[in-house]
Amino acid sequence: MKIVLKGGRILDPSQDLDVIGSVVLENDQIAEIGTKVDERGADELYDCTGCWITPGLVDIHVHLREPGYSHKETIITGTQAAAAGGFTTIACMPNTDPPLDNPALIDFLLDQSSSPEAGGVFVAPIGALTQEMKGERPSDFAALKRAGVVAASDDAFPLQNSAVMQRCMELCRQVDLPVATHCEDQSLTMGASMNEGAMSAVLGLRGMPRTAEEIHVARNCLLSFETGCPLHILHVSTWGSVAIIEQAKDLGAPVTAEVCPHHFSLIDDQMPPFDTHWKMNPPLRTKLDVETLISALAAGIIDCIATDHAPHARHEKDVPFEQAPFGIVGLETAVGVTLTHLTHKGLLSPLETVRKLSTRPAEIYRLDAGTLKPGRTPVAQVAVIDPDLEWTFDVNKTFSKGKNSPYHGCVFKGKTMLTFSGGEVYRDQHWDKRPQVQNA
Amino acid sequence: MRLIGIREMDVDQIENLIAFSLRLKAACRNGGELPSLHGKSVGMLFLEDSTRTRVGFEQAALRLGLHTTSFGMQGSSMSKGESLKDTVLTLKSEGIDGLVMRHKCSGAAMLAADLFEGPVINAGDGMHEHPTQALADAMTIIENRDSVAGLVVAIVGDALHSRVARSNIWSLTKLGAEVRLVGPKTLLPKFPAGLPVEICHDLHSGIQGADVVMALRLQKERMTSGLISSTGEFASLYQINSRALRFAKPDCIVMHPGPINRGIEIDDATADGSQSVITQQVENGVYVRMAAFAYVFGLNGEQQRKSKARSRAS
Repeated sequence: MKIVLKGGRILDPSQDLDVIGSVVLENDQIAEIGTKVDERGADELYDCTGCWITPGLVDIHVHLREPGYSHKETIITGTQAAAAGGFTTIACMPNTDPPLDNPALIDFLLDQSSSPEAGGVFVAPIGALTQEMKGERPSDFAALKRAGVVAASDDAFPLQNSAVMQRCMELCRQVDLPVATHCEDQSLTMGASMNEGAMSAVLGLRGMPRTAEEIHVARNCLLSFETGCPLHILHVSTWGSVAIIEQAKDLGAPVTAEVCPHHFSLIDDQMPPFDTHWKMNPPLRTKLDVETLISALAAGIIDCIATDHAPHARHEKDVPFEQAPFGIVGLETAVGVTLTHLTHKGLLSPLETVRKLSTRPAEIYRLDAGTLKPGRTPVAQVAVIDPDLEWTFDVNKTFSKGKNSPYHGCVFKGKTMLTFSGGEVYRDQHWDKRPQVQNA
Repeated sequence: MRLIGIREMDVDQIENLIAFSLRLKAACRNGGELPSLHGKSVGMLFLEDSTRTRVGFEQAALRLGLHTTSFGMQGSSMSKGESLKDTVLTLKSEGIDGLVMRHKCSGAAMLAADLFEGPVINAGDGMHEHPTQALADAMTIIENRDSVAGLVVAIVGDALHSRVARSNIWSLTKLGAEVRLVGPKTLLPKFPAGLPVEICHDLHSGIQGADVVMALRLQKERMTSGLISSTGEFASLYQINSRALRFAKPDCIVMHPGPINRGIEIDDATADGSQSVITQQVENGVYVRMAAFAYVFGLNGEQQRKSKARSRAS
């Protein structure tokens, strides 16, 4: 089987490549890449004129909800949503029921995700930082790592006890496993459901102060510096956190950080009153935070973009704001939001955009992804993105089971057209409307 | 129609509702004719404890011939875990014409109104709004001062957690008053930019020259959660008493939305004193709730008078 992706703009940050050219896939491997390739004998030919050809995108912060919450999402629907978004490798969080704190559960997850229905998307599990995610005893990191976890995290249940965090980092350092932390001092956020600001004061909602996040960012950076454990800061949302992360990196602490598309595109004041599709943790902040997050991403202080894809069932969000669960879906809007709010505004170059969505996140968890170099990934992982396609996001037409998105009805510029991974092809409906000849 | 919050109402709506409430008060006292909602039914969903608001709505309904079905958390299917959504849809399917709702969560009334798609009155939602209380307060001020415009109103105490304060801020400023929030930093909003108020942490400067001083209830849980050190300290700094009132205008009126903690946010003598209009606020609550029912059911004062005039002419 030979597939030729012809005449697109090849963007591969792993080799600083930004050229017009073609990519040849042969037997699910990248065979050739360049301005002049051998098209002869192609079984399928895709005319990629005007599109980007990039390494498959990588999302290192996804909630797949299985086992335990398959009414919110399943591994299958989650990976299908990933493929539709251009993602070929995703890392999934351990806050399932039971939590992913032992090798048997990791086996289950890897087994499910390798089914043909999963769209060929690679799932890299993140293990629980503490047993049962109770915040008390560290998990068996050596066993988890052998089973295939790529990091350990307390996401959704942020570790309040600094001693436990310190010990977890020591032990993860010993087996060379990155620790990913949700930074929140929960004594400051009790009963709170949005950013503490002018809007929370008007709506009469308890506010989450920015300091609740920043105290834990500072604490975890200090512990990373002390233990030498690679620390990944999840969903950075405040300018203060950016300042602390920059300082920690300057000190030489092995710290990385991510930002979510909603945190660089929406602010708390824009929320329609009590719309639970705008409720997530950390909450949407202010204009100053958005501006700081974007410049920190461009400067590399924040390393990458991750979605924190957090699907919930409709009935769980159809409740009073304070009682609704935190989280929004993100896999199928990440490209649209990022290109619309960053790339087309000139805040991030196309090559840097792909770096933040693919190459850099792959590096953080040392995943075999994020590159078009032949032979560097087990199978070819490629996305084709039309950067100029304008489209309206309809949450009712997504692959994800979760319909909890603040972007429903938004117009974006930029969409994933094709995703190639693990021998599977996702083809967007917009692709077929393109005027070009598609098949050889 | 719905009555969810004062923030989304315009000045005309607020003024009309108060004027209508004043006419209803006069009619009730003089044995005049009242609008009739006979044959209509309302569900009274009080999912949080209440005395004056609940009784106020029941009295108002009684005088309008409106049938009420009253229930709370206990004794309804909500104790079996039925959601707010399903409860509202159930009432709607059973032919209930309107809803009055009290809920512990901010925004719950808006959610219920969106689902019910009919007359809904917010009887207090979390820390968000309590519109009928604010209308009763504005009506009481008008009865005592003719107009709200140009007055200085000091709201003293726990404004952060108070839905009454939020609704009063909107109604009083829309009617032209200057509103000050007075209290300790831990009980006032940290980012008040969205609210048209002045923030003051000192009682004396806060009520300096005030025409209206409104004390808010201090909930006991504010101490257990460490927002203040003790009720004694709070009382010594923020209690409305004769000493504090020396700084306000000599003829200022004293208000309290209730329930009162006597000896904490207000002393006994002031609560029962000649400047206090607290019982008037409670009484006016009934007329405002009558007006609110008529408003959400689409009867307004003008129509009522016209129909009366027509019946006289015929």
